[in-house]
Amino acid sequence: MQPATAAPSTDTATTPAVEVHDLRRSYGDFEAVRGISFEVRRGEVLALLGVNGAGKTSALEVLEGLAPAGGGTVRVLGLDPVRDRARVRRELGVLLQTSGLPGDLTVAETLRAWAGTLSDPRPVEEALAQVSLTGRADVRVRALSGGERRRLDLAMALLGRPSVVVLDEPTTGLDPESRRQVWELVQGLVADGAAVLLTTHHLEEAEELADRVAVMRAGQVVLSGTQAEIAETQPATVRFALDAGDPRPPVPAEVQVVEDGHRVEWRTRALQPVLAQLLAWAAEHGVVLRTLAARAGSLEQAFLAVADGTHPSLMEENR
Amino acid sequence: MTTATLSRPAGPSRLSRVWSLASAETRLFVRNRTALVNSVVVPVLFVLAVPALGLDGGDLPFGGRLLVIAVGISLVMLTYYNLVTTYVARREELVLQRMRTGELTGVEVQVATAAPTVLVTVGQVALIAVGVVAIGEWTAPVDVVLPLVALVGGIVLMVLLAAATTGFTRTAESAQITGLPFIIVSTGLSGLFYPLSVLPETLGEVARFLPLTPVVELLQLGLAGQTWQGDAVDGSVWAAAGVPLAILAGWLVLGTLAARRGFAWAPRR
Repeated sequence: MQPATAAPSTDTATTPAVEVHDLRRSYGDFEAVRGISFEVRRGEVLALLGVNGAGKTSALEVLEGLAPAGGGTVRVLGLDPVRDRARVRRELGVLLQTSGLPGDLTVAETLRAWAGTLSDPRPVEEALAQVSLTGRADVRVRALSGGERRRLDLAMALLGRPSVVVLDEPTTGLDPESRRQVWELVQGLVADGAAVLLTTHHLEEAEELADRVAVMRAGQVVLSGTQAEIAETQPATVRFALDAGDPRPPVPAEVQVVEDGHRVEWRTRALQPVLAQLLAWAAEHGVVLRTLAARAGSLEQAFLAVADGTHPSLMEENR
Repeated sequence: MTTATLSRPAGPSRLSRVWSLASAETRLFVRNRTALVNSVVVPVLFVLAVPALGLDGGDLPFGGRLLVIAVGISLVMLTYYNLVTTYVARREELVLQRMRTGELTGVEVQVATAAPTVLVTVGQVALIAVGVVAIGEWTAPVDVVLPLVALVGGIVLMVLLAAATTGFTRTAESAQITGLPFIIVSTGLSGLFYPLSVLPETLGEVARFLPLTPVVELLQLGLAGQTWQGDAVDGSVWAAAGVPLAILAGWLVLGTLAARRGFAWAPRR
């Protein structure tokens, strides 16, 4: 028998763990996923962001092998999740957005039964420790709190030592401490070389975990790239307030102005020179810029712009 | 591409994987007192009440009649009805979808979920058989294989029809309604309580093609050498078994198709 830790061959190491190309999925006349493409490499977290109904879960169900693609291709470790199901499943850990477990089994019984269905399960004790449920091993699932149940679900997803992990809103309903713990768990998986695809609508979670982000709206990926790349699609903002009698600063060419009484907001893609100019002007004229704040474009800003429909697919134009 | 990284220990056998989930399901079944009582005690009481109803069983000896009725009632009320509610309850609790994300295939999850119900069905039939022997009503069957084929085929068919029924059953409670047509028709027109020959001729002929009828026919043929019309078999029981065997096989094919089409893994959105 070959050892489980066989050295990866070079081509599997360079092929993305997950490849989605022009994926489409419809429910009747409604097209939930409209031709999306993305990749997840080993040792990397891709966060799929988007408001509810953006098509995240519908897309994930295809690569989990739970639903057929309406069009396009999905490959997990180079394999088709439906046709090569058995081989894909051995490598895949799935946490569904909502799922249930029988209430009348204990935590340990649930894990033991699940372990018995897997090719290469980790020991149940280890799985319990992983999600801090060791002390709750003999408690029936019915009696667990929502957060504990979610952690048990996560332990099941990771029980088969998956190399590709799909987490659909892993921390929804968790308290901040559990959430932090799940993040550490995910970071550990990635450090061990797993590819992680997660959906979330907590921007903080994406910021904490994601190497790359894809933002979906109405079934399409409208923004994708590293956090920095996505933040760069958004203009930087400079905010300040002026007193009634103050002179007005000259507006540089590359600045868009939003004024609200004495409060001024400048939006620009050239933050540094614009800010330098403003500060120089203020010094020269002895004006105090009250509540001055300068901020580069952020992931949050991009997400909100996509969510309210004001953001076009800038990244695609850049490519 | 090569898939060298996918080399993993082969892991447990398929049977052992299904068994792992099936034994957890059995544990759940035992912990659910209501289901336990409903599935075990109620049908047994029902069967015990049969002699008091004084139904006309043709020339079949009392012990054989009891056994045929026990199998028929167990198949419909326990295997079929209990499984519809179990499948639907597991689906609505989002358990089925969870179980389907692992290495088990869909069919394996369905089989594992059905396991306790099937075990109890077999156990119940065995218990009645022992009871029949105990009260001294046992007569050696004309053929041993036919009743076993009837039992196994009947169980598989009930599982398939239960899976198909989940497609139009929204909640575990509504199984009482969606399962009713099958329960009434298959118990009423299968020759379970009276020979089909008491029905108008055309209706009797049509009733032979209902899903439970071939199971009852095969049981009666094997246990007592009695035909669907209540007469003693003239010649080989296997020759007489041709038609019900074909009908049962036809239903198994139809049931498989219906189960594949109708089974829903997740609640409707």
